[in-house]
Amino acid sequence: MSETINFAIDLGTTNSLIAKMNNGSVEVFKNPTGHKETLPSVVAFRNERIIIGDKAKEFIEKDPNNVFSAFKRKMGTSENFFVSSLGNFKSPVELSTLVLKELKNFVYTGEQIESVVITIPASFDTIQSNATKKAGYEAGFKEVTLLQEPIAASLAFANKNNENSSLQGQWLVYDLGGGTFDVALVKIIEGEMRVVDHEGDNYLGGVDFDNLLIQQCILPYIYSQGTFNGDLHKELRSAKGKYNSLYYLLLKKAEEVKIELTNKDTAEIEFEITDDNDKLHELYFSISKNEFENCIREKIEYSIQLIQSILERNNLSSLDLQEVIMIGGSTYIPLVKRLITEKLGIAVNTSVDPTTAVAIGAAYFAGSKTKSFAILDEQDKPFNSSNINIRTAYAKATNDKEEYFTAAITGEIENLLYRIIRNDGGYDSGLKKLAERISEMLPVVENTNNSFTFSVYDSSNNLVDIPYTPIEIVHGKYTVYGQPLPNDICIEIDDREENTTKLELIFEKNAILPLRKTILKEITKTIKRDQADSLIINVLEGNRYAVPSSCIPLGVIEINGKGLENDLVKGSDIEITLEISESRDLKIIALMLINDQEYSDVFNPSVRKVSLTKLKDEISTLLKQARKELNQFEKTEQFERAIAIQNILSDLEEAYSGVNELGEDDVTDEKYFWEERKRKLAQQLDITGKEQKLPALKEKYFSEKNFCERELKEENDTARLNRFETIIAHEKEYLGSNSIYSIQAKIKELEDLVWEVRRNKPYVIAHNYHYYASQPIENFKDQKKAQQFIQIGDKALERQNYEEVWVAISGLYHLLPDKIKDDDRIKGTGIG
Amino acid sequence: MNDSIRFNIKIINQLYEIERKASQKAEMHSIQRNIDRIKNMYEETGLFIHDPLGESYNETRTDCEAEIGGDAVQNLFISNVIKPIIYQKAGNSKNIIQRAVVIVESKT
Repeated sequence: MSETINFAIDLGTTNSLIAKMNNGSVEVFKNPTGHKETLPSVVAFRNERIIIGDKAKEFIEKDPNNVFSAFKRKMGTSENFFVSSLGNFKSPVELSTLVLKELKNFVYTGEQIESVVITIPASFDTIQSNATKKAGYEAGFKEVTLLQEPIAASLAFANKNNENSSLQGQWLVYDLGGGTFDVALVKIIEGEMRVVDHEGDNYLGGVDFDNLLIQQCILPYIYSQGTFNGDLHKELRSAKGKYNSLYYLLLKKAEEVKIELTNKDTAEIEFEITDDNDKLHELYFSISKNEFENCIREKIEYSIQLIQSILERNNLSSLDLQEVIMIGGSTYIPLVKRLITEKLGIAVNTSVDPTTAVAIGAAYFAGSKTKSFAILDEQDKPFNSSNINIRTAYAKATNDKEEYFTAAITGEIENLLYRIIRNDGGYDSGLKKLAERISEMLPVVENTNNSFTFSVYDSSNNLVDIPYTPIEIVHGKYTVYGQPLPNDICIEIDDREENTTKLELIFEKNAILPLRKTILKEITKTIKRDQADSLIINVLEGNRYAVPSSCIPLGVIEINGKGLENDLVKGSDIEITLEISESRDLKIIALMLINDQEYSDVFNPSVRKVSLTKLKDEISTLLKQARKELNQFEKTEQFERAIAIQNILSDLEEAYSGVNELGEDDVTDEKYFWEERKRKLAQQLDITGKEQKLPALKEKYFSEKNFCERELKEENDTARLNRFETIIAHEKEYLGSNSIYSIQAKIKELEDLVWEVRRNKPYVIAHNYHYYASQPIENFKDQKKAQQFIQIGDKALERQNYEEVWVAISGLYHLLPDKIKDDDRIKGTGIG
Repeated sequence: MNDSIRFNIKIINQLYEIERKASQKAEMHSIQRNIDRIKNMYEETGLFIHDPLGESYNETRTDCEAEIGGDAVQNLFISNVIKPIIYQKAGNSKNIIQRAVVIVESKT
């Protein structure tokens, strides 16, 4: 167990943060539902819930009777806040306690925090400081150490740069946040860092800058573009105003402009407004950094006046100060840094993230501060156990946007709270009182599994140990037919390089019906209008790693040249939409983008359609493959396997002639018989000799993988190394699939990657060149041109101009006749 | 979140804005098909876009960052969307990688 405090909290007026010193570095924890490090210091009591942070902040202006912010300013006063929804009062200490408790939830490690450093403004007196301590104790901390914010910030800068020397003497901490401004003079006195003086304004910060931007830059532009008879500014800011909704949009846009202008000279703003003549104006204009700076200059100069008053009070000149440390989000604005440097002549230090500096500095302090209370061993520590039992009831599958959840709770539930959070971060019930029966409407995301975490907290917001209570709701309907898909659903596409076809996954096994997906594919061969050639959209069910011919065909659309309005040109796109209904009907819609011609058909398992053209093509491919394998087995004297292949070959030949005898308009069931037969034979062919082929193929895969990795690392080629990682990412899956095709495809991808690296190496280029240049001259289609390319290549090699050598190689390559005759090519699907 | 995801989020936000503008002009409706196609391409890569326009709103919705217009705070609905919700597929579920930025108003 650690003997130093380590945990630190920046309990800010506007935002709060929690950080931890861990083995020499500081981690600032993030909000589990917002992924932001900051938690707005705002508490809302709405609809029997306690909401803290971002969600509460949204309601500040709209529900002021139930939502409270900036209560830090009232710490140590007798002023309390009346909560109308509760009918009672909450003190600033109680509200701060809720913020502190909420910050505990940021600590994802689940550690119980017993000691903590909490920061306070330099202006806090003893009563205010003690009130902060009290809030800490009420939040469940056993030990609370206070630290002034300017000191914390200074520590962050000192530790960041490891430049303790820069913090000799005295310096200013300039803190300009979202809504407040503070400046402090910090000095080292007798080896101790102390805040000597401070100044501030509780109503100066980033939000004021956004409003000034609207008022001075955006409003004049709106007036110049349309007819607005009334007071536009009033109409924007009044809750009942005509343009009140636009005001909030403009606030967001103004904030974006402000951020953009921190590193650009101009920023664009775009929105729509309807004027008093009911004319809609689409407004789009630029705001320059200069214009923005003119809007806020006065405010920044005012903050400098406050600095000057500190200097005057302490009889200091700018020369007496080492630097100005900048914290708070608004110090990102370049004008702030520039004006301070210009007007005061003091160096500005912005080396630490201004938003987290206080929390980070406080964590450094916490990491050096020893706990003062007795430390218990883990075994001795009281475990926050309970005798609570929870029985939940809810629909585990739904088609609605929200689902009713209820639970019956037994055991000691007094003073306990519960909270339900959707694990994707999209829903947070807030803290609610635990009762014997609780219920919530849980919103769910469509077509996915929605997991929720149910937690119970004690009054200090420590997690209470309860039985594991998972809440899992699947969106999408389970009906008799609407179960998850039993197999992958794929589309067959061409693999022209390998002269075969392959499967492309459309819907994954176990996806929940109904399903819909649109893909865009390229047409890989030209189909002439009125010609017999066709494009085939073949949708199959089976393992995505299997050969297409071994899968079950679900539906096929054949787009024949005879029905085309125009030629389909190779390279043009086809949009294919596949829909599978809950009752497993498959709808295929194909849209040719070149001519907007649409084809569609609905298929269902009881009405199977078979394309004879496709069937013939597939059997023909299987025949070629079987003959090739027979040849190999005979060569290697594996006679047993050769006999098995011979039998498959005979059956395939029988199937081929059987299919050839069928007419295009055959109405019998025979084509289904042959289709089924073909599928079985494809599976047999796939299995035969697999046990012998697979190990060799896997060995080849690993050798190619090692070679590829070595080559890429040698070249230190980060981009290709990333691609390499992507290729091998699902290695376990495709090697485990035992699919020869998919392993071969991966080997090919690795080979291509290696080739990309090696192709530019001089010795590889030279080797390639010699290969083509040494071909018998009569092999080239144009011998004169070939001679010219050889001359160019020889000279380029001499000069070691490898780019030119490539030109020669490419020229020679294209003069060679195509190795593969068209007759050998598969017809394929025409889609790639 | 890596740079590539950040980049894609920026593109999706622009795409969303294009979609919103196109929907307001009858002569631009044909663009919708291309927009849907781009969205499908993003879905292929595991990024899903959800437009919460018109949906009801309350303080438990942590999938949106809201500014509340008007003076009523009951029966709230999302009246304007500046940025949509973006989910990223993670196994069988999805994670939110961008919260929507919305303007909320009361129906009453």
